[in-house]
Amino acid sequence: MRRSTAAAVGTLTGAALIIGVRLSVSAPEPVAAPPPVDLAGSGGADASAPAKKPAAKTPDAEKTEEAPPPDDEGGEAAADESGLKDGTYRGSEAKNPYGTIRVSIKVTGGKIVAADATYPITNDSAIINPPAIAQLKQATLTAQSADVDAVSGATFTSASYVKSLQAALDQAGG
Amino acid sequence: MGTVVSIELADDRPDTVLAGMVADVCAWLHEVDERFSTYKETSEVNRFQRRELTVDELSADMRHVLDACADLWRATGGYFDAYASGPLDPSGYVKGWSVEVASARLAAAGSTRHYINAGGDIRTRGVSAPGEPWRVGIRHPWEADKLSWVLTLTDGAVATSGCYERGDHVWNPRTGKPATGLRSVTVVGPDLALADAYATAGLAMGEAGIAWLGQRVSEGYQSAVVTDDGRAFSSAGLPATV
Repeated sequence: MRRSTAAAVGTLTGAALIIGVRLSVSAPEPVAAPPPVDLAGSGGADASAPAKKPAAKTPDAEKTEEAPPPDDEGGEAAADESGLKDGTYRGSEAKNPYGTIRVSIKVTGGKIVAADATYPITNDSAIINPPAIAQLKQATLTAQSADVDAVSGATFTSASYVKSLQAALDQAGG
Repeated sequence: MGTVVSIELADDRPDTVLAGMVADVCAWLHEVDERFSTYKETSEVNRFQRRELTVDELSADMRHVLDACADLWRATGGYFDAYASGPLDPSGYVKGWSVEVASARLAAAGSTRHYINAGGDIRTRGVSAPGEPWRVGIRHPWEADKLSWVLTLTDGAVATSGCYERGDHVWNPRTGKPATGLRSVTVVGPDLALADAYATAGLAMGEAGIAWLGQRVSEGYQSAVVTDDGRAFSSAGLPATV
């Protein structure tokens, strides 16, 4: 399920994505080998060393080279430029009351450009975090005549009732 | 209300007993009308709306309905709104609720096999004949003499919201105009009051309602939807035979 970063803040528990949003607002100062982004924020509030940096422009950010293929735990290898290296960061699993959620963010040009979360779809979690597959699926609109006991339709007026299928059933039922 | 109500009792009881049960349902529905009809000047809803009654003076039924409307306003993000047309009008909830209560009263009086259809909102209980669930058709949104789905139910509720009978009577509170995008929304679930309100809210939302109705599946409410341009959608658990 894709969500914009801002929207995800309200829906996911834990400090994980809030940290992410702060990072996207202020590019961190150059630090040697920034630690991998711990999106699960073990315990939450204290995990965000880079989060409070002032909004200093980092002229080197644009020179960031194409990051090595993403998809690894935590961050990439030590950054030799400022800011977050481009790539996809996946947090460790975070438990919330409804199940285990794993968040990932994608960074381009020192900013978070996409955020994702995977939700459990089994057991109780399926009730609280409904699986994305519980959507209505497209079907063919058929027009049938069938033997039924009652008809549900938009509220009819007394006048249109007279001509309705339900009226025919009511009369036939005797 | 001007709503036509059809009642079928399939219980194996003497006709006089069944007739008494039907009379009780009619008396209940008339009581509901007296209390909640916005067309009756002296109805409780209108007296409350004119501030001739305070909240403390309201009947238990009125307080329940107002509470439920407030809950639904929140649950639907404002798309179910008892004040959508201006003055207080809870009839979007009352219609389904009154039939839900009527069916409960029939059950309490000993009817285990019946359905009530009030203007297209249906509550079924038990079976129509031994081993035969009730068969409820959903009226095709364009062809009045055809069905687009056939449902089978024992205990359950079916509510359909659409504009093809009474015209543009469902409002989209965000646009301030009649709802567009969906031709017909049918919701199937355990409680007719909620099914009715969800169907109305889904219709009001337009195409966005399709996804919103999908989220009701986890609460036990299935849906069948037809858009203005003739596309049909249904949830996987809809109890449809065809």
